Amino acid sequence: MAEALHQGKGTRRNGSLLEYVVIGVTVAAIILFSIFVNGFATLGNLRVVASNSAALMILSCGMGVVVISRGLDLSLIAAMVAGATTFGVLISAGYSGPLAIGLTLITAIIVGAVNGILIAYLEISAMLATLASAMVFTGFFRFFVLRGEYLLMLPKTNPAVMLFSTDLLPGLATPVALMIITFVVSWLLLRYTTPGRITYAIGDNFQAARLTGLSVRPTTVMIYVFAALTALLAGLITSSASGAVDFRTVTNGSLLFEVILVVVLGGIPLRGGRGGMRNILVGVALIAVLRNGMTLFDFSSQTQDVLKGLVLVVAIVTDNYFNPRDTETDTVGDL
Amino acid sequence: MLSRMKKTMLTAATGMTLCAALALGVGTAQADPNISGKKVIFVPISMGISLTEGWLRRMKEHAAIYGYSIDVRDAAFNTGAMSELLAKAISDKPDVLVVHNPTVQLLARQIKQAESQGIKVLQLNLQSNQPSTAFVGANWTRIGTEIAEDIVKECGAGSGKSGKVSIIPGQLTAADSVMMNEAAFKVFAKHPEIKVVSNQASDWEPEKARQITATVLQQNPDLCAIFGHWDVHTMGAGKAVKEAHLEDKVIVYATGGGDDATCQAVEDKILDRVWSYDADGQGRDAGTMIDVLLQGGAAADHTMLKIESPMKIIKLGPTYNRNLCWKM
Repeated sequence: MAEALHQGKGTRRNGSLLEYVVIGVTVAAIILFSIFVNGFATLGNLRVVASNSAALMILSCGMGVVVISRGLDLSLIAAMVAGATTFGVLISAGYSGPLAIGLTLITAIIVGAVNGILIAYLEISAMLATLASAMVFTGFFRFFVLRGEYLLMLPKTNPAVMLFSTDLLPGLATPVALMIITFVVSWLLLRYTTPGRITYAIGDNFQAARLTGLSVRPTTVMIYVFAALTALLAGLITSSASGAVDFRTVTNGSLLFEVILVVVLGGIPLRGGRGGMRNILVGVALIAVLRNGMTLFDFSSQTQDVLKGLVLVVAIVTDNYFNPRDTETDTVGDL
Repeated sequence: MLSRMKKTMLTAATGMTLCAALALGVGTAQADPNISGKKVIFVPISMGISLTEGWLRRMKEHAAIYGYSIDVRDAAFNTGAMSELLAKAISDKPDVLVVHNPTVQLLARQIKQAESQGIKVLQLNLQSNQPSTAFVGANWTRIGTEIAEDIVKECGAGSGKSGKVSIIPGQLTAADSVMMNEAAFKVFAKHPEIKVVSNQASDWEPEKARQITATVLQQNPDLCAIFGHWDVHTMGAGKAVKEAHLEDKVIVYATGGGDDATCQAVEDKILDRVWSYDADGQGRDAGTMIDVLLQGGAAADHTMLKIESPMKIIKLGPTYNRNLCWKM
């Protein structure tokens, strides 16, 4: 257990090469796009890349922490839309920005706690619990809060909406600032706090962590509440930027696919206990560069999905070739 | 004694009838009731958007007048579920089936099957490859052509602008996107100075349209126009233009049902020019068409009965009026 706690400091015992393969692919993509795509290697485009990947990075921080604890949160996008819906409804009803954000925070905490309790206390598998809760959250917020509406247009001139979509400081967009803050906070929490250390222990061996006397159940609830809070932040950024809360973000599933892609490609194994925020940075960098370059290349969204899927397969096959499974890495419950 | 009982019963019956009439609303006198009791099923791509909610409101008004029923099977943007819902709707044997096609191909076989079983199929706004008894909706070829011609006027030869255009379809295989793109490219082919620098689908999502536009604007800060195939997702593109402080240089074109949010977006300079097919008016047209179909109406030569929606062009200027848009 001590070893697991020690190992958690962002290091990988098996020397998985996936992270380095992905860094290599990202650098290659940057070089290729810089040569062949006009307007790729500019400061303005870097700003667009950062701004467009803010929500993805924030969501990936939440999912990363969950996966390190050997969990999976399939309700992350549903929680994101649930938070944005609550915020949008309150703002549209004339509530002040701080009050709306406060009430939305409470909603996110409830959403995360429901997931955490289902997993930690009722001992339902994370995948099934969050799959079910995703459906419940989506249905509840769409039919009971939005009364069946699929889209909620936000008042674009509202100061709270503008706060999330404009520049915080000259040259620093609020979404980018929030992305950096979430990243740093996630890193600090994982590395320097007791719940952060317990997260690694849970991911490494849940039963051993429990027998050691660590507070595994409350920590699990905290992990899912943290994930829901990142989802809320991503929801506020996305809806304020586009001016609408859109339930199709949940139903078409491509964002959830990208978040899982970031975590896996970055090098956080789905069997948990390993990895850190550095891996999230690596994964987001690849997806953001690919998405930006392919958009500049004028590839259709379907072609982009195919290419992203191919990159995932190539990266995992390469990793498996250099780092084959053995009895030590092939743990029970491995996905 | 007997006559007193009869009198009491008569008074009670009259009272009950009056109460029932009041409860039902005596104002809605029913028209020729020979189609009352008939069954109509509406299978939209999704309820919960102003377009379909606006249609349903008007169709229900017609159903209330004539006394037929309208049952809604909501596919909630799930095309797989939509095929299943349509199969179930066909097996329920309605008199008229109202279908909102997500793509030109997806429901073609089922539309043919329904027609072969004697169910009249009304295709609403988005047409399939498969013809049926009737169609009510926008003429997408006309919209594509008119917007493209306007783009040529604003960005083409002699305008002093770059001629660069970004197109944002909903889905490349959606009926409206297929037809509008075909029509627009036909116009652009005659004007080589127009360059389509991006033609990427947003999957109808405002956020995707925003991200695509933010990226395209980086590469092409001299972009002249954006042609979004639906006002709702194009608002995301408009936000990206505004964020880049290019709202006075880039003209954002869109098309849509023209509800109140569209006028708000035009006033906020998120959208510049919207070709509205007026979903509210379409709902009434669809209701009228259903009335006609239920009364046995059909084209004499067995071709499709068609009602083309008149267009409203919403843009700021002397012709602008908030009443160009409708409210739920």
